[in-house]
Parts: sequence; structure tokens; C-alpha cells
Amino acid sequence: MGASIDVRDLALAAAAGDPRGWDGLVERFGGLVWSTTRAYGLSPDDGADAAQTTWLRLAEQLGRLQDQYGQLGVWLAATARRESLRLLGAARAAEPLTQKEPSPPPSSGRDALLWRVVRELPEHCRRLLRVLLTTPPPSHEEVSAALDLPVDGIAAARAACFQEFRHRMATISIRTEVEDS
Amino acid sequence: MSPDANENPDLVGPEDEALLEELRGAADRFDPPPAPVLEAARASLTWRTVDEELAALQFDSAVDQALTTVRGDEGPRLLTFAAPGLNIEVEVSPIGPRRQLVGQLVPAQPARIDVRHPGGVTTVQADQLGRFGVEAVSAGPVSLRCHLATEPPSPPVVTEWIPL
Repeated sequence: MGASIDVRDLALAAAAGDPRGWDGLVERFGGLVWSTTRAYGLSPDDGADAAQTTWLRLAEQLGRLQDQYGQLGVWLAATARRESLRLLGAARAAEPLTQKEPSPPPSSGRDALLWRVVRELPEHCRRLLRVLLTTPPPSHEEVSAALDLPVDGIAAARAACFQEFRHRMATISIRTEVEDS
Repeated sequence: MSPDANENPDLVGPEDEALLEELRGAADRFDPPPAPVLEAARASLTWRTVDEELAALQFDSAVDQALTTVRGDEGPRLLTFAAPGLNIEVEVSPIGPRRQLVGQLVPAQPARIDVRHPGGVTTVQADQLGRFGVEAVSAGPVSLRCHLATEPPSPPVVTEWIPL
């Protein structure tokens, strides 16, 4: 899994123009950048623009970030957050009412149910979980940067959101049992 | 501070850990980073800056004025980038899925300007008054690289990438 790769080595190689180093960074953090843009509710198209802009920003800044090579995930998460907010601002200015979530997945099954319940959680929980559920798992520092939350508060916020999630799942299964009987 | 400390074991019970893994599986299945997004990320290394001067975005009317603009009276989007000794002002007008740019270098001076976007590079010339224009670039991230006609020669100035 990506967590065992030394991000600093990848960054050094990438800064020297080595595509293997760069591709390693994309493999490690591509999911984090994407889930950050999705956490802010960007449409897939705007999310793609925000993600691409984030990586272009890294390409332009990499040579200046030496002291952050060990924490590039934090830098990328913070940049993805900023670019997401910029696109949200631009989209609202242009067409105030067109922010739309893509329609939910058409599949059935337990995974689809879990995902639907995650998406219907209160905004702060949906956002937190969207970043926490990144593959490979982000550090709390990265989650903190993606969502502008204090690092110390993430564990408690997650526990509260899981509680809400379980409550909703329990409600659904009771409802389903009633319907089935 | 350990970059590998993915979860803090003191605060995660085994039940939460199991739920986390199950939900992560659902996220992987229903909202993974799309292949074209990852492909674009890999291709971004092409645009690495090496010895250019970076012009930071200082003003973006779409963000900085979004709350005060009266709807329907917006006009073009205005951007200002600043580097030591040079400001680059750009007006952006949408034409369908493409963007028309009209720009001004401050202080006014001629320059060759590469309009860089993921689809390629369009080169235009700023005139003696520092004015330049680009008929249409695709919507998406854009960065300008300005080769100034200074004596002695100075490194090109590149603007931060910004989606238009």
C-alpha cells in the first residue's frame, strides 16, 4: 500500500523531473485530492478541474516546497480544498442555482445502501467521511488540511458521525423488517 | 508527526475500524478517482516550472466579488497576477465551452506570451502597450508564461494555474 512508500523520495525524484517519482505521488495522493473535491460537493466535471488544477499547482510549486516534502499530502489536501472553494465561488457567481450532485449509483446491495446512507448524512458528516474514506487512508493531518478542521477534533467528530450513521442504518433495517413481514 | 500514522489507534475501536474499512470499500466502488482525472494528474508533470518567476493570483472577481456582484451585471471575469516588477491583468469572457482572454501587462511592455492549457500551448504577442488577446482557449486550467523583452534577459514569468 502507498503508505509504505517514502513520499519524500518520490517528491525529490519528481522535482528532478523523474516521472516515476511523480506517478508515485499521484498513486499515493490521487485519491485524497479527488475525495477532497468531492467532499465540497463539486460536480464530477468541476471536481476534475479542481483536481487537475491542484496537480498543476504542485508541478509549478514542487521546486519551492522542499521543506514540505515529508508532508506533501497535507499540502495537496489544502490546495485541493482551496481550488474546490474557488470553483464553488466561480460556479455560484456564474449560475447560482446549478450546484448538483450526480445521481446516486443505480446498483443495489449492501455497498450501495451504505453509500447512500453516507451521502445522506448531515453535511459536516458527509464531508468528513468522504475524506476519511479515501484509499489509501489519509493521515489526520491530511484530513485536517482537506477540511480546515483542527487535527485534535477529527477522532471525536468521526465517532459522532459513525454514531449517526449507525443510528440511520438501524432505522433502515427496522423499516425494512416491517415492510418484509 | 508520522506521515504513516493513518489512524490513531487510541481513538479507534475495532468496531469503528471494521465499519471504516467497509465504508472505504463502498467509496472505492462508487466514487473512485476517475481514470481521466488520474491520467491528467500524471500528465501534469509536463508543466513543471524550473527557473521561471511565479506570478501569484492576487484578485479573482469570481471569488473576491462573488458576494457583492449584482446578478446579471457581471461582465467579464477579472484576474490579476503579481510577480516582482510585473502585474498581469486578464479579462475572461466565456464563449460556450471556450474562453476569450484579453490581457494587459503592467508596466506596459511588449512580450511573447505562451497561453498554456492542458491541451497545448497557444503563443501570442503583447504589443508595445502591453496588450494581448487570445480568441479562444478551452475551458479548464490555464497558465500564462510571459517572455519579457528586458535587457539583460530575465527568466520568464508564469502565472499560477487557474481553471477558467
